[in-house]
Amino acid sequence: MAVLEIKNLHASIEDKEILKGVNLTMKTGEIHAIMGPNGTGKSTLAAAIMGHPSYEVTEGEVLLDGENLLELDVDERARAGVFLAVQYPSEIAGITNAEFMRAAINSRREEDDKISVMEFIEKLDEKMALLDMDEEMAERYLNEGFSGGEKKRNEILQLLMIEPTFAILDEIDSGLDIDALQVVSKGVNQMRGEGFGSLIITHYQRLLNYITPDVVHIMMDGRVVKTGGAELAQQLEAEGYKGLVEELGLDIELDED
Amino acid sequence: MVTKDKQYVEHMDALQAFSRGLQEPEWMLQLRLEALKQIDSLEPPVIERLRYTRWPLWQVPNLTGAPAPLSIDPYEYIEDKADTARVVQTGNDTVIETLPESLKEKGVIFTDLHTALREHPELVKEAYMTKVVKPGENKITAFHAAFMNSGLFLYVPKNLELTDPLEAVFIQNSLVEDSFVKHVLIYADTNSNFNYVEKFLTKGDKKNAANIMVEVIAKAGAQVKYSAVDQLGVNSTVYFHRKGYTHRDATIDWAIGVMNSGNVIADFDTDLVGNGSSSDLKAVGISNGRQTQVIDSNVVNFGNSTQGNIFQHGVILDSATLTFNGIGHIIKGAKQADAQQESRVLMLSDKARGDANPILLIDEFEVTAGHAASVGRVDPEEMYYLMSRGIEQEEAERLVIRGFLGAVIQAIPLKGVRDELVETIERKLTTK
Repeated sequence: MAVLEIKNLHASIEDKEILKGVNLTMKTGEIHAIMGPNGTGKSTLAAAIMGHPSYEVTEGEVLLDGENLLELDVDERARAGVFLAVQYPSEIAGITNAEFMRAAINSRREEDDKISVMEFIEKLDEKMALLDMDEEMAERYLNEGFSGGEKKRNEILQLLMIEPTFAILDEIDSGLDIDALQVVSKGVNQMRGEGFGSLIITHYQRLLNYITPDVVHIMMDGRVVKTGGAELAQQLEAEGYKGLVEELGLDIELDED
Repeated sequence: MVTKDKQYVEHMDALQAFSRGLQEPEWMLQLRLEALKQIDSLEPPVIERLRYTRWPLWQVPNLTGAPAPLSIDPYEYIEDKADTARVVQTGNDTVIETLPESLKEKGVIFTDLHTALREHPELVKEAYMTKVVKPGENKITAFHAAFMNSGLFLYVPKNLELTDPLEAVFIQNSLVEDSFVKHVLIYADTNSNFNYVEKFLTKGDKKNAANIMVEVIAKAGAQVKYSAVDQLGVNSTVYFHRKGYTHRDATIDWAIGVMNSGNVIADFDTDLVGNGSSSDLKAVGISNGRQTQVIDSNVVNFGNSTQGNIFQHGVILDSATLTFNGIGHIIKGAKQADAQQESRVLMLSDKARGDANPILLIDEFEVTAGHAASVGRVDPEEMYYLMSRGIEQEEAERLVIRGFLGAVIQAIPLKGVRDELVETIERKLTTK
């Protein structure tokens, strides 16, 4: 079993503090959801864990089995077992999707143990079929000209190919229709198991109808303000963030409905 | 200039002996001597954004005619392939020359220049430095005409269409000190159609100059697809001049990988003379270490409805320099001509110096022309995305480079050339 601990994490972008002390612990075998209104720091949390160059961590630790990820480079964090699926992945012309995924898989393997072409293709075919993806997507350039839905499926495809220990899914559900949502959920549910943990960041409860979380965290104003079971998401759906703000007696302005 | 007055004419006797030793026809000797007299008074060509007066390009080659004391095994660089049309030269020597019987029967000539001078003197005389490149254009062309020490001649007869490419491999012998003054003459007769694939390499690390000229003549309706991967060595200072001349409705398409390791000027020019003729130039370049490479692509539209495209992408690492000059020139009277170009440079290091310099010179009204140019750095967001999947920085950079050059490489029609280019890029990136 692996453990991911986020301890008192503070992070800022261009000197504006976004994360103001996030604490969260998760283990493999668990699915956690983070919900919260827009602009509350959910995506910043994901980016800070992965090491996005625009974010500066000013305080705190992110420990993976006791090792501080924040001291590692982005690629080392990934190889340590963390994966981040994002809403708007980069489009890179000239590199095919397949080539990119092979490089990602091989980066985790020893020089004399690279994945064979056959093994890679078999795995790729299987995972693409699961996600209802057209075969030609493998030979297209990385995310180039992909629709929003295709990009998100492609992020989940990478998740299935790389098989990380912990996957953070950053609003992977936004803008997806029900069919696509089901496909994406199918992918995540297939990963579910002893050796895998996931932190699902979402704005809406909708995705959680398909991927039932073990733990739900509510984030507001750069902090986790409440943690509970799957029922917390339902409560939120019924009462909205406003009700929660009142319940917790928080002094927070919500910049949305 | 580093050269003194009358420095070159001193070599007149030696040059005469050299030409006789090679059993050259009288006209060739006269062409050499005429050029020799002009070298001192001519200036080197102006290359935009480059000062190269101190480059060691002017060493007179060995004129004794004695064979090089050290020779090269060509199979270090090539595979043994039966039944291909291929010429391999190491230094000044032709070491492999194969041409399928079927092509010989049809009249294809593919042989070293001096053999062609003996066996097909009229054809060579008609084409050699008469129309495409002329000896008196500048100091470099005159130097070349005077001291050319080996070369290749390719002739494809009228209406002949070849499916398999003709291959040429030139290995500069830098085990010894000697200037490499190579001439490639390609004569595509009316309505012929073929692929020519060329490779330049260096063996050894002596500091040598190379002065390489390629002339391509495309007669009416001929279609020449010319591909090259240049990989001359770190101690070779090179002036490459490839130039095409199109007659009516002819096409010359160039695909060139500029992957040398030393300082290089690469001049790729096409004169679109015949109405309806066209040229498409695709070039990719990588500069690394401390080298400077300048790629000077120049398409001149003379004829009506001529079409010239320049498409070049390059990558710079370390403290190297890479410059793309793209020159599209439409001459007065070339109605409905079209000149397009795109030059892009990607810099991967703070010390890299890059330039993409588009120049459009248009002297006619009824034309279309366009250009795009950029010099930029790798997008940190792209690097982050690749690395967030576990890919190490160096490998991620390699992917970005391949992707950036891929836009040009994918547009190259021959798969063999595309693969060769990708391999060469990998090699160049791993041997810093």
